[in-house]
Amino acid sequence: MWEGESGRTPFAGLDVLIVEDEAIVSFLVEDMLIELGCGTVRHAGSVTEALAALAAKRPDAAVLDVNLGGYKVYPVAERLRELGVPFLFATGYDASTLSREWAGRPLVQKPFQLAALAASLRAALAGRR
Amino acid sequence: MSKTETGPAGPAAGLVRGLERFLDATPGFLDMLPIGVYVCDRDGTLIQFNRRAAELWGRTPKVGSERFCGTHKAYTIDGKPLDLAQSPMSEVLKTGQPAQNREFILERPDGSRITIVANVEPIFDDQGKVVGAIDCFQDITNLRAAEDAVRQSERGFRQLLEALPAAVYTTDAAGRITFFNQAAAELWGVRPALGSAEWCGSWKLYWPDGTPLAHGDCPMAMALKENRPMRGVEAVAERPDGTRVPFMPFPTLLRDEAGNLTGAVNMLVDISERKEADSRQKVLLDELNHRVKNTLATVQSLAAQTVRGTKVPRAVRDNFEARLVALSRAHDQLTRGRWESANLKEIAEEIFAPYRSKGGNGLVIDGEGVYLAPQASLMLAMIFHELATNAAKYGSLSAPTGQLALSWKVANGSGPRRLRIEWQESGGPQVTEPARRGFGSKLVERGITQELKGSAEMTFDPGGLRCTMEIPLGT
Repeated sequence: MWEGESGRTPFAGLDVLIVEDEAIVSFLVEDMLIELGCGTVRHAGSVTEALAALAAKRPDAAVLDVNLGGYKVYPVAERLRELGVPFLFATGYDASTLSREWAGRPLVQKPFQLAALAASLRAALAGRR
Repeated sequence: MSKTETGPAGPAAGLVRGLERFLDATPGFLDMLPIGVYVCDRDGTLIQFNRRAAELWGRTPKVGSERFCGTHKAYTIDGKPLDLAQSPMSEVLKTGQPAQNREFILERPDGSRITIVANVEPIFDDQGKVVGAIDCFQDITNLRAAEDAVRQSERGFRQLLEALPAAVYTTDAAGRITFFNQAAAELWGVRPALGSAEWCGSWKLYWPDGTPLAHGDCPMAMALKENRPMRGVEAVAERPDGTRVPFMPFPTLLRDEAGNLTGAVNMLVDISERKEADSRQKVLLDELNHRVKNTLATVQSLAAQTVRGTKVPRAVRDNFEARLVALSRAHDQLTRGRWESANLKEIAEEIFAPYRSKGGNGLVIDGEGVYLAPQASLMLAMIFHELATNAAKYGSLSAPTGQLALSWKVANGSGPRRLRIEWQESGGPQVTEPARRGFGSKLVERGITQELKGSAEMTFDPGGLRCTMEIPLGT
């Protein structure tokens, strides 16, 4: 169990949606989120799947890969913004390649370690842009 | 020189006497003049001429019978035969008004032609009546030929500029456009008004980042205003149809013989193709880097899956992941440098960023911006990562009072340039030489000496670890 500076995890019980098209990478993010104390981790591999998952149940937070098999994840980001769900981008691209509209959002660059994911998730939850 | 033998009789006799008085007052000296001079009476009859006039005509006319001029034949400047009754001499005698700077072509009996300029003045008697006229004329054949040559040469240069596939234009010293070629008009998409358009003939101008650029601030304007040539600048021209052309201007000042600024010439090189190639290359490199980093994330996941549920300590997985991340960040630096080079300062700052965020008061990085080839960039990133990890675990970064100084210098001696890097820890726990060489020291030893053909020395000083590395830099 990963613990924050306060001594208890700020992520306890969170329902987090991972949008990631590469299965092996999604295992890693899923394990990390569980290790951070998240309660439920759901997974979507495409924009369509992600939108369906959002329609089924509003998550507490989301981790978005930017490039999903050639398609950009931005429609999912748009929907999350409408729903007021905090999210962060997890991408192999340089931060500068992020669309201008989403520049400044919390972002972790792949590959990343647990501490980087925790910091970014905390920033997303705090609504820090 | 002879005087008129026959003249008008009767009432006109007084007038003729007045003209003769004028001629008598100038004995002999007309022949000393370097210009042709002749005099006609009020009827246009030639009554006197000097030696130079005869030379220019190529003949000696008969005084008292020929009229208006002593030439064999005359032509207008564009080559049409001239009736001497329409000549300036005839005109002046009729009007009493002087005729100035009239140019004609004279043909001599031998067929040779010269260009002359004539000035004809009327001669008046005491009552103010015209009694004759005097024509002073000189040979300007050589002058005109020189002017033609200059014009021809100017036309040649203009044709040359016109034919160039590069956009070229000129301005006067105040920046008003005086010339532009077809390629310039095509680049601009407009034909600016000569003499009123200033600095640059483009419709609109922008900096490469898209911010508007006023014509008065464009490189050509800066060159003229600051009196210096401008190089290495880029700008973007927008045509009236909205298309944009990135270009590189080469404004160059023009001076007269005394060194005074007379204007400027500017060549605009269209760099669209280079820009497109650059952005295609950037997209490719971004894609490649994206793939590499996803692959590294996949490797990280595979390792995590492998050790999952085993007794492998968490610290082992952390170490591995930290190395993977360090390698990945070095890739990012190289991608930013198009895989040509990466900045050593940025590599070091990236590696030490986590330590800085945890305070890092005792951390000093001191060195100029040196650009390293990809191989050296990756190796030094990994070495810095290993040394920093060790410092945080056992060395100076593990103690609140610890100091770590990383510095480098480029030695410009004879032979190839060499980069000398110093890693100096102090103020941490007492250092003892480890019994077994770790990954960090093996990397320093083999990576620096064998892979990068440099030299390295690691000293386990009790006061703090010191590591000195020297590598040759590419040209």
